[in-house]
Amino acid sequence: MTSRIGPAGFAALVVAVAAAPLVSTHYRTYELGFVGIYLAALLGLNILTGLTGQISLGHGAFMGIGAYTTAILVVDHGWRALWTIPVAAVVTGLVGIGFGLAVTRFAGPYLALATFALPLTLTGIVKRFQGFTGGSLGKNLPLLHSQLGLRTNPSLWLYIVAWSLALLLFVLAWAVARGRLGRSFRAVHDSEIASTANGISARWVKTLAFGLSAFYCGAAGAVFAIGVAYVNPDTFPIDLSILLLTGVVIGGTGSLGGMVFGALFVEFIRTTWAPALVRAFTRVTTVHVNTHAAGSPQVIYGLVLLLVLFAAPAGAGGLARRLADLVPRLRRRAPSLSRPSGL
Amino acid sequence: MKRSALLVAAALLAAAAVVVSAGAAPSATPGVTARTILLEGTFPLSGPASGYAPIPAAMKAFFSYTNAQHGVNGRQIVFKYDDDQYNPPETVQLTHKYVEQDHAFALVGGLGTEPQQAVEAYLNQQKVPQLFVSTGATTFDHDFTANPWTIGWQPDYAAEGAIYGKYIAKNLPTAKIGVIYQNDDYGGNYLSGLKSGLGASHLGQIVSAQPFDVTSPSPLQQVAALAQSGADTFVIFLTPTATIQSYVIATKLGWKPAHVFVNSVSGTSTFLGLAAKSGSAITDGSFTVNYLLDPTNPQYNSAPGMVLYRKLMAKYDPSGNVNDQLNVYGMAKAWNVVQLLKGLGKNPTRAGLMQAARSMNFSGATANPFLLPGIVTRTQGRYQYPISQVNLVQFSGGVFKPVGGLVDGRVLPK
Repeated sequence: MTSRIGPAGFAALVVAVAAAPLVSTHYRTYELGFVGIYLAALLGLNILTGLTGQISLGHGAFMGIGAYTTAILVVDHGWRALWTIPVAAVVTGLVGIGFGLAVTRFAGPYLALATFALPLTLTGIVKRFQGFTGGSLGKNLPLLHSQLGLRTNPSLWLYIVAWSLALLLFVLAWAVARGRLGRSFRAVHDSEIASTANGISARWVKTLAFGLSAFYCGAAGAVFAIGVAYVNPDTFPIDLSILLLTGVVIGGTGSLGGMVFGALFVEFIRTTWAPALVRAFTRVTTVHVNTHAAGSPQVIYGLVLLLVLFAAPAGAGGLARRLADLVPRLRRRAPSLSRPSGL
Repeated sequence: MKRSALLVAAALLAAAAVVVSAGAAPSATPGVTARTILLEGTFPLSGPASGYAPIPAAMKAFFSYTNAQHGVNGRQIVFKYDDDQYNPPETVQLTHKYVEQDHAFALVGGLGTEPQQAVEAYLNQQKVPQLFVSTGATTFDHDFTANPWTIGWQPDYAAEGAIYGKYIAKNLPTAKIGVIYQNDDYGGNYLSGLKSGLGASHLGQIVSAQPFDVTSPSPLQQVAALAQSGADTFVIFLTPTATIQSYVIATKLGWKPAHVFVNSVSGTSTFLGLAAKSGSAITDGSFTVNYLLDPTNPQYNSAPGMVLYRKLMAKYDPSGNVNDQLNVYGMAKAWNVVQLLKGLGKNPTRAGLMQAARSMNFSGATANPFLLPGIVTRTQGRYQYPISQVNLVQFSGGVFKPVGGLVDGRVLPK
């Protein structure tokens, strides 16, 4: 991942994050809180997919594991919600490593298929151990409310927690990408054979990538549970995993800043952007689209994804980079560090 | 001096204007304007539960009809609904939107046990009516003390199970019951109802009770266990897909139970027809319950509610399937909502709406025309089950024939 924008870009992001609630309604702040949650998840998935080049169709399940960890600790053991976040992240990270050890013997499409099993297995496990997880009925967490002595409305509280986490994880992702671990990830992405020849165990690196991305998604899932205040096996369907992957691609695999756009996409596509797109389409072509038809959201994402891959294969991040290229000052002096991203 | 006096006078006048206009302003009730009342609800319009999508369309059709008849106390009903895909976090987000952004007057008909449970606490905290949820889970009717802003509508699952139990205890006292039930609150509700209907003396009639996980691919193991248990009465408390599978598997295993009872959610002509087409030989003769007018049964063709139903479907929902009883369900519910709103008069309030919902008595001449003749809609005091009477029906030749008269799943207060 390149940091073409660097600290200045990050500072701009922080300013935007701080300012947004001041100009937003409570409900909009609530929605933007979820953008923060999805950003944390996408940053994690990006480490696996963008950096290390492994496709996962099941990372929604890691959000689910984080969410259930939080739910069980809060509801059954009386934990304070915030303390559960690091625990959920670590637990999920460990599960990620375990899962990675199991599946990294596979490569490419076979690995992707194996990850597809994650969300299905999670649903089954949750329903099987219903004494522990609450089964189909799920668990109701206490309604979202501000803590730590801060008296803000619940939406703002969620926003603060989600974005504090997201920005922290953003910095971590940036550090990982720049460091030795990041180079190992990229080496495995480029060529597993070459990296093995150079003494990097591709399998261990991929496993670590799973673990780290699961850690991120677990943390995101924990905040998700706090925000929604309810978990049950239907809360993390396959759709979510696919949506996360779509978000990474649309953001631009490998681009940290692009992930912000990806997170906006994940949150707003279904409720706001897709209906708006359909309305515009109807107005332009006078073709009536039945948005209430079964499967219609999936069709719309698929179309949007195809459009993006066609028009901007490197996603939002790639677009931003191309725009930045137009400004001579922003061009890096060492062009070899910039790399086209893509799966 | 004169100038400051003028300023003070202007300030006082302005203050007076504000105070007076505040009093004369339209009621501060959210969702209510001088001309409209905003009702909203979440429904699964896509995804695995999208079979229920006709319900909000039919509700909207009835509200359109009401609006064409000059609305409710001079106001038009604006009914908006969104797709939550039966996914609770979606339900939560949409519900927050309805309450905090749209400021709906009430949430009406929200569908799904888990989706509505996910938002129950929030709506009660915000004191927004969660009116007539579309699910039979007993808790929505039963727990009104904890959740005063929430109420169900249709006969609840436990009551339905009790009706099967009572019928079996009375008419099939020596039958051996094998029951397969979904291993969650849905199936659990039905099973506990069945047991309470059988009563202590007939509880032993259940020779085998097999829980089935909805995530399991097939109920083969459970149906085989029931077939081997010597049961001659097959009771199915599963969602539609698993129900169809159970019917087919029973035939494939060569099991021909003398009686079959299937829960009303899955016991529709569509699903039973599918089961028969897929090879089941035991769909004919299945018992279930019904409380709505049945568009596929010609005996109801001249009922005033059926006439109105067909007229409204043709006019306001022409692309809807008239034979789908879910449309009757939607209209029946919308009718109920309109009756409540009419009773609230010129200044409806959310609290007033809930009060009205908790003291309903639509019977006789004022009964809901879309329900079977004789079914009342009653709530009062500690009895908060709006509809609890049903007709036991038997599937025969593609049509449900009533068996006996109306049965009560619960004890109506005098």
